[in-house]
Amino acid sequence: MGIEEPRPGRAEQGDPDGLAGLLGMMQLTDSALPTGAFSHSLGFETYLQSEQIADEDGFSAWLEAFVDQQLTYTDALAVRLVYAASGFAAVEDLDELVTAQALPEQIRRSGITMGRRLLSIGAASYPSPWTCRYQREVEADRMFAHQATVWGVLARSLGLPEETAVAAHLYAAVTSLTQNAVRGIPLGQSAGQRVIRRAQEWVRRGLATSRELVASGQAGEALGAVSPGLEIAQMNHERQRARLFMS
Amino acid sequence: MPERRAAPAAPSAAAGSGPDAAGPDAAAGTQPSSGAPDPAPAPPWTGELRLAVAARQGRSYAARQFHEGALRILRPHYLDRSGQVTYTVVNPGGAYLGADRYLIDVEVGRDASLALTTQSATKVYRTPQGPAAQDMTVRLGPGAVLEHLPDQLIVYRGGSYRQRTSVEMDPTSSLLLAEVVTPGWSPRGEAFAYDELRMRTEVRVSDPSGPGSRARRLVVDQLRIRPGEHDDVAGLGLMEGHSHTGQLLLADRRLDDELYRELVALVDASATRSGITRAGIPDVGGVRCVCIRSLADSTERIAALHRAVADALRRRWRGQAGVRLRKY
Repeated sequence: MGIEEPRPGRAEQGDPDGLAGLLGMMQLTDSALPTGAFSHSLGFETYLQSEQIADEDGFSAWLEAFVDQQLTYTDALAVRLVYAASGFAAVEDLDELVTAQALPEQIRRSGITMGRRLLSIGAASYPSPWTCRYQREVEADRMFAHQATVWGVLARSLGLPEETAVAAHLYAAVTSLTQNAVRGIPLGQSAGQRVIRRAQEWVRRGLATSRELVASGQAGEALGAVSPGLEIAQMNHERQRARLFMS
Repeated sequence: MPERRAAPAAPSAAAGSGPDAAGPDAAAGTQPSSGAPDPAPAPPWTGELRLAVAARQGRSYAARQFHEGALRILRPHYLDRSGQVTYTVVNPGGAYLGADRYLIDVEVGRDASLALTTQSATKVYRTPQGPAAQDMTVRLGPGAVLEHLPDQLIVYRGGSYRQRTSVEMDPTSSLLLAEVVTPGWSPRGEAFAYDELRMRTEVRVSDPSGPGSRARRLVVDQLRIRPGEHDDVAGLGLMEGHSHTGQLLLADRRLDDELYRELVALVDASATRSGITRAGIPDVGGVRCVCIRSLADSTERIAALHRAVADALRRRWRGQAGVRLRKY
């Protein structure tokens, strides 16, 4: 395991009850955090237009594939690799890798747009050596700020356990995508909550798969591995005529 | 990863050019067997092929070539008047087996042009000893052109395959990498009977400001299909009712907006369900990247789209005739 980023102890941070990390996580993974997540479907709108997704079951099938593929092989691995980073240079390389592997232009842009907003809020709220450095490098156009990498750095600085950090990120993505589906398809609010409840099993599966990939030393090579259908839909979104979402 | 492979039965000639008489079936009996463990230290590669292409007075030729084990190369062809040389890779064993490791190393020098293809489909049989793996390393010099248009990949029941392609290109070079993947079959004809398929391509752009400076990452293209982990590999997000998938990666400084629109029109006109996008990190040495990913129900429909794109680029950039790969 890598060297931990220098971090003041709880007492110095004014964290006598040890809740600082949890509260920070609740702020930064809240779906109300203004990162713009409400305007990204990350590909499901393409299926909406082709009428392959029209109801709770259709959206559920897409979301399960999305969690199994993209959230597991890109986002979960990226967060874990931040935790494994022995120095900031590894985070810089990861930031570039995560950006380079996002083939669909809208997906690459959405990751960066949301990541930059998260970084700017996170660095202002919870300044630490790595978050502040990340922020400076992004402002100088030397790093991109993919959302998963940014969250990994923030979560590590907050002292969150790795499993909690990965679970929170995946769950936040599931929640905001489902809220978008509730508005976009539309689905009833209860249907949305059923999907979110069901998705917890998929999030757990993503945690386990990504944990095994890191343990077996395959995380770097596997990062970004995806199946064709999801990616084609994400590519084709940019050429749709009427769009509710930016991706 | 531990080595658990069997040596190829037929030690092949080493370096040298010249016609290679091995036909597609000539060496069918010389497949590496996956029997008893070999006590001797295993050579690092089941098959190794190294090819360096250079250009002299507008004509490209192999400045160096080397092959060993279960990979060979046919004599070169000049299929048009462009001076581009076409080489055909042959796997005399006919298929990749468990724990086989293949290396293809290609260098295209300054202003040289290479079309690289295969003699027949790459077949991966059962791999109980571990995945078959192919590593391909490519270096492209200033003004160099590589068109890699292999036949389709077929992974059969119980097979696992990992392909890694690593390219380092000069910012003025031109790259086209195509792949077509079939569903593979079991003996009873069931599709998607293979265990796992992974293909990873990473392209870096070398920094002309000097040797020693690190090549910058442009794009990483990943494909992963593991049929057994899904209830329905043909389902939403995966193969979506299709049997074949394909991918085409282009990297070149001249992939401008007008050309991109032309490529979009080719994608829309094709008999495939395809996506096209501007991929990669913007402005790495000025190189632009476009990726096309396809689903279809035959190899030929995807291959036709790939040829149409290659032909459009040839026409525009080099005034070169279309792709007409001869197969023997």
